[in-house]
Amino acid sequence: MIGRLWGTGTALLVASIILLSFFNYEIPTPLVYLTALAFFGGAGVFIFTRGLTIYVIKRCLGAVFVMWVIATLTFVLLRTLPGGPFDSEKALPPEILENLAKKYKLNEPLINQYGDYMYNLLQGDLGQSYKYINRGITSIIAESLPNSIQLGVYALIISYMIGIPMGILAGWKRGSWVDFSSMMVAMSGQSLPSFLIAPIFIMVFAKQLGWLEPALWEGPTYYIIPMVVLGIRPAAVIARLTRASVLEVIHSDYIRTARAKGLDQKTVLFKHVLRNSLIPVLSLSGPLAAAILTGSFVIEQIFAIPGIAKHLVLSVTNRDYPLILGTTLLFSLILVVANLVTDLLIAIVDPRVKMG
Amino acid sequence: MVLFKSVFISCLIFTVGLTACTKKSNLEYGLDVKDTLRINIEQEPPSLDWSKAVDVTSSLVTNNLMDGLLEYNLADPELGVVAALATDWKASDNAKVWTFTIRKGVKWTDGVEFTGQHVIDGWERLLDPKVASEYAYFLFDVKNAKAFNGGKIKDFKEVGIKFNDEGQLVVELEKPMSFFPMLLTHHATFPVRKDLIEKHGDHWTDPDKMVSLGPYKLKLWDHDKNLVMERFDDYYGEKAKIKNILCYMINEYSTAMNLFEAGKLDFLYSLPFKELPILKTKPGFRKNILLSSYYYGFNIKKAPFDNVKVRKAFVHAVDRKQITDLLAADHTPMRGWIPPGMFGYEENRGLKFDPELARKLMDEAGFKDRAKVPRINLAFNTNENHQRIAENVQAQLKKNLGVEVQVQNEEWKVYLSRLRTDTPSIYRLGWLADFPDPSTFMSLMTSVSENNHTNWSSKKYDELVSEGGAALDKEKRRAIYSEAQKLLTEDEVPVMPVYAAARQVMISERTQNFPLNSIERYLFKGVSFK
Repeated sequence: MIGRLWGTGTALLVASIILLSFFNYEIPTPLVYLTALAFFGGAGVFIFTRGLTIYVIKRCLGAVFVMWVIATLTFVLLRTLPGGPFDSEKALPPEILENLAKKYKLNEPLINQYGDYMYNLLQGDLGQSYKYINRGITSIIAESLPNSIQLGVYALIISYMIGIPMGILAGWKRGSWVDFSSMMVAMSGQSLPSFLIAPIFIMVFAKQLGWLEPALWEGPTYYIIPMVVLGIRPAAVIARLTRASVLEVIHSDYIRTARAKGLDQKTVLFKHVLRNSLIPVLSLSGPLAAAILTGSFVIEQIFAIPGIAKHLVLSVTNRDYPLILGTTLLFSLILVVANLVTDLLIAIVDPRVKMG
Repeated sequence: MVLFKSVFISCLIFTVGLTACTKKSNLEYGLDVKDTLRINIEQEPPSLDWSKAVDVTSSLVTNNLMDGLLEYNLADPELGVVAALATDWKASDNAKVWTFTIRKGVKWTDGVEFTGQHVIDGWERLLDPKVASEYAYFLFDVKNAKAFNGGKIKDFKEVGIKFNDEGQLVVELEKPMSFFPMLLTHHATFPVRKDLIEKHGDHWTDPDKMVSLGPYKLKLWDHDKNLVMERFDDYYGEKAKIKNILCYMINEYSTAMNLFEAGKLDFLYSLPFKELPILKTKPGFRKNILLSSYYYGFNIKKAPFDNVKVRKAFVHAVDRKQITDLLAADHTPMRGWIPPGMFGYEENRGLKFDPELARKLMDEAGFKDRAKVPRINLAFNTNENHQRIAENVQAQLKKNLGVEVQVQNEEWKVYLSRLRTDTPSIYRLGWLADFPDPSTFMSLMTSVSENNHTNWSSKKYDELVSEGGAALDKEKRRAIYSEAQKLLTEDEVPVMPVYAAARQVMISERTQNFPLNSIERYLFKGVSFK
């Protein structure tokens, strides 16, 4: 009972933060602290009472190892990539190239550079960008990540709001026209590229109807088109997965039992089918969240949103080694954490799952 | 019960939250649109530290924040230099020594008086090997500057810049240079405030710390999003007419175009090229030719381009007009090396389109049987327009010359590193003038130039270029460059010029006196609203 109340409370706190940010209100710091406390406190208590402490510690250690492998691999791969950060259309004289190499320690043996990088990384210092002279990688991330997270969270919510009902309906009414039409919509949603959908949305909702803004990132009327466009593909994925999962659950023994007990359709659907068929969808959430964050480059470009995906892509074009390493590590971290959180959520929802 | 409770709690939290929260509105930062010029600078300026910045965006901003010793006269089509922080300048010893009189009574935005020492500090910083500025080579012709930058000389006093007894700045060069004053309009050579840089370190360009002395000062810098400049009221020259400049950083041209059409932007300097035919008919559309060159280079170490007749045949076989027509972007087809609009431009210099002569030259070169021509790669960096041009050239060579070439594209940085290590038989590159003087183009193909990837070198050409750079007499200079151009584009032909690019811009109808010019120096102090 307490657990359920705690969970609902945390969810409401998170929801209020999302709503505040959507309507462009300054989010009060106490609210953020309270939410963080509720979330991590709840998670901590849950982990402890379920005896998952050792499991979580193991996973965290595994995550550290994964991050180290990624950092090392990226470092090595970057140096084998042809073309350096200071190659430009106007070639530089050797004296200047040498000064630059000295300044950024690019002329030292690779093993020393690697050692320096790891040493700084352990102290939380990601270094300075080569392209954005004098700007620290940490500050670039701190300034652009919140916008990307905002966009990603909205898109994720939209995709659940569209995908889950659509999938349940299609699965419940399998073989009917509802099933066929919604699956067709899902198929096209999954295959249409966002650089096609985005201009159509801009044409219709911004230029013709004038309801929404064509670009920038300033308030609700600016958020809607990008979040919908970004949410369409995950919505389609979720809809198809939900449908498949609903179909599987419907044919299981416990649903037959529920029906044999004489329960009405509504109770069967909402109490038994829904709960169990959403577990696969939940387990997809981690990878999906990471995919939305990394995949928002095109959307960020089209709508001029100052997010992090731009840096992830353009840093490679610029051979901005510290920024490439910084963004790659960040996204790996997001993926690792998202997977851990998803696994724990499944443990909460599904009592059959044993961990540790 | 649980449901009721949670709904109640959430409503409570939300109401409390809403009343406690303030709504943030960053759109246009509360600036008065009537007194704000809104432009798109396309990307985050990589640095506002003018000794270190090397890109177009940073230059655009710093040029409005700062002044140099001299400035271009933007009303003059040939872009001569006029006084700025120096009131007077003169050459002596055959343009090897230059003397500048420093303007009095100029104030920085923090009220400190500007002195000639700030110029010397700026140059010392630019050339300091530890600062590792990419544009340090702008001053490499100053006596001992290159050696100082290369670490061979430790004492900056040995570098050729000092005060004379009258307090004027005297600059001594390694060799005579008639165009030296033009370099002083570039932000790399601008004065700096050493005291503030020492105090704030890398953060001296933050809006709350930055000190400058140009018509505008930095007010706000919202990274990756916006930058605001505000008029500097104690500016020594004519004050800026518009109070604020709000810069957006929108990468996508069509996105910026949408905002322009919605009346949210006043100026765009890049347009989506596929929409050009439609945009050309709109009010506010303007275009001008840039001092630039799009060209192909031949690697003369690779057969068959070791034979000058083959090189000539290839150039004769390509109709450059067909390419500019294909792009439909108002570019000017070009045969000579100096682009139109620049001193020394000759319309009829370079090899004409003449397929018959081309075939004859190819036969004479020993390739009567075209199957004997070695494999030729035509390389370019991945880009839709470069691809269209390369494929057009490929088709023209097949049709007019009967030669097959393979087009090959590579990612930009990979391509650049390949130019250095293993130059393809034919490669594409472009050049945009650093300053409006032909020497920027002519020195590109000298034997010492890092940008000459053709492996071609000519002692005669090197001599002509350095003679031309030294000549103070205009007509003498024109004759020298004419001879050098003939050598490069008619006799030896290591390069095939294709076109000089045009720039298309959109300017909102409420603005006037927009400073369009061929070197893209966008100075906004003279712009006003109707």
